[in-house]
Amino acid sequence: MLQLKKATKVFNRDSVNEKRALHQLDLQLAAGDFVTIIGSKGAGKSTLLNAIAGLWFLDEGKIYLDGTDITNMPDYKRAGLIGRVFQDPMVGTAASMTIEENLALAAKRGHSRGLKKGINKSLRSRIKEELSRLGLGLEDRLSTPVGLLSGGQRQALTLLMATFQQPRLLLLDEHTAALDPKTGEKVLSLTEELVAESGLTTLMVTHNIVDSLKVGNRTIMMHEGQIVLDIKGKEREEMTPQDVLRLFERNSGKQLANDRMLLVKNRKSNGA
Amino acid sequence: MKSLNLKILLGAVELGLIFGVMALGVYLTFRILDFPDLTVDGSLTIGAATAAVLIIQGYSPWLGLALAFLAGGVAGMITGVLHTHFRIIPILAGILTMTGLYSVNLRIMGRANLPLLGTDTVVDSLRSLGIPAQYGWVVFGLLLAGAVIIFLYWLFQTELGLALRATGDNEVMIKSLGVNVNGMKILGLSLGNALVALAGGAVAQLQGFADISMGIGMIIAGLAAVIIGEMLIGTRTLLRALIAVLCGSLVYRIIIAVVLRLGLQTTDLKLVTAVLVVLALTLPRFGFKKQLLALGGWSRASVEKGN
Repeated sequence: MLQLKKATKVFNRDSVNEKRALHQLDLQLAAGDFVTIIGSKGAGKSTLLNAIAGLWFLDEGKIYLDGTDITNMPDYKRAGLIGRVFQDPMVGTAASMTIEENLALAAKRGHSRGLKKGINKSLRSRIKEELSRLGLGLEDRLSTPVGLLSGGQRQALTLLMATFQQPRLLLLDEHTAALDPKTGEKVLSLTEELVAESGLTTLMVTHNIVDSLKVGNRTIMMHEGQIVLDIKGKEREEMTPQDVLRLFERNSGKQLANDRMLLVKNRKSNGA
Repeated sequence: MKSLNLKILLGAVELGLIFGVMALGVYLTFRILDFPDLTVDGSLTIGAATAAVLIIQGYSPWLGLALAFLAGGVAGMITGVLHTHFRIIPILAGILTMTGLYSVNLRIMGRANLPLLGTDTVVDSLRSLGIPAQYGWVVFGLLLAGAVIIFLYWLFQTELGLALRATGDNEVMIKSLGVNVNGMKILGLSLGNALVALAGGAVAQLQGFADISMGIGMIIAGLAAVIIGEMLIGTRTLLRALIAVLCGSLVYRIIIAVVLRLGLQTTDLKLVTAVLVVLALTLPRFGFKKQLLALGGWSRASVEKGN
């Protein structure tokens, strides 16, 4: 399905700010895999997603999607195969355009855009139907500019847009991190629902270790541009957040530097 | 003070309608594409030059308009390629094209001023339809500006038009939906400047000459129309925003006519225009804003602040 071979990316090479973002990274996803990615700040989580989306090209290594070599394919062409949701709810939608216009844009992902009407009757009824599943009442506000929606509403809409035209691969980059906890939970459960329904192959970066074990079928941990932990099945089911933290320390030889993760750790150990 | 008589008002309306087409082109690049495009000063002149030369050589004034449109499209395309493929910042890309066009326009015209004496204009063909000569340009201006508004309104709702609007709104998002934003920018700049040059071709016929310096300051005049229109009428819907631009152009030309009647010289007009734009941009910040929001609905800026 998705395969990365010895993917390497260095930012600011040969300068004082040189940053080895991805290092000889190998990753293989089976169709329908829902993989959560954890790791401290700067571990290369977002870099991995950006590499797959094609924001820039790899220095070394190869990326295959469905057997096709997409290593040198420009981002807008890959986008036909890949749905994305970003951390910032403002990034995934066009503020000055209406809800239905945003979805109409998403409906054409991966197809050529011509001089046909952007929104016809059948598309509008499908938009309404899909929106009503969000349970946010957006189906009655089709011509509301997206800029008037809350962050959570915009993120839910972005998620719907990313999956509206079924992608081969769904990339979620801490897409609940900027939302309040309750809204974040809602968006996360919507994510699980949408992914399960179409059996989407998904990569989800999260800062929340509990979520990373609860959601999806496989968890990988990154450190300094490499995968240091890759668990699934029974091993993953039996894993507790504390185990993950211990494993991380053993694999990387370091304490977790991410304060948000430490919060989870403290809360868990206090609660236990 | 001499009163503003009907003839002067009519003249202002004629100019307002024709330059309204230019303002719609400026609206397309500045507002829809969010690209501060300074090509306009050159593309208005290339339109006028192209039309004037063709008419003098005996070709139909309609053909003059059509080729003016195409010439402007090429000018916009060059700015677009400079920005997208050579990574030159928008303002500089526009200035470079505009500067180059000055020489190109002189080449097209052969000299700095081309009078169109006794030649046919597009309005002459309307006269044969029974429209009184006095109102010929007003009717033509209404038809042309109306057609452009209808065209843009239609375009902005097509699949392509939606992608064009999204490119100006949120580049990251539309890229992630598989759109080649470079292509969209070139398309938008091309179409915007084509409209500007179309207006130039009509202005040359209306005024009876093409002049190498007629484009100077046109970008600000176009911007004045866009901003005045947005201030007075608002941008709540797409159609409303487009009509606002045309109305803004009319109001701008009427203000200019009044200012001239007050005794200012035509050479003062650039300063008047600059002050007008400053006022239109800043007045809403000094208490005007609430009234304006109630009057005109939301603007893009207020939406973004509203989150």
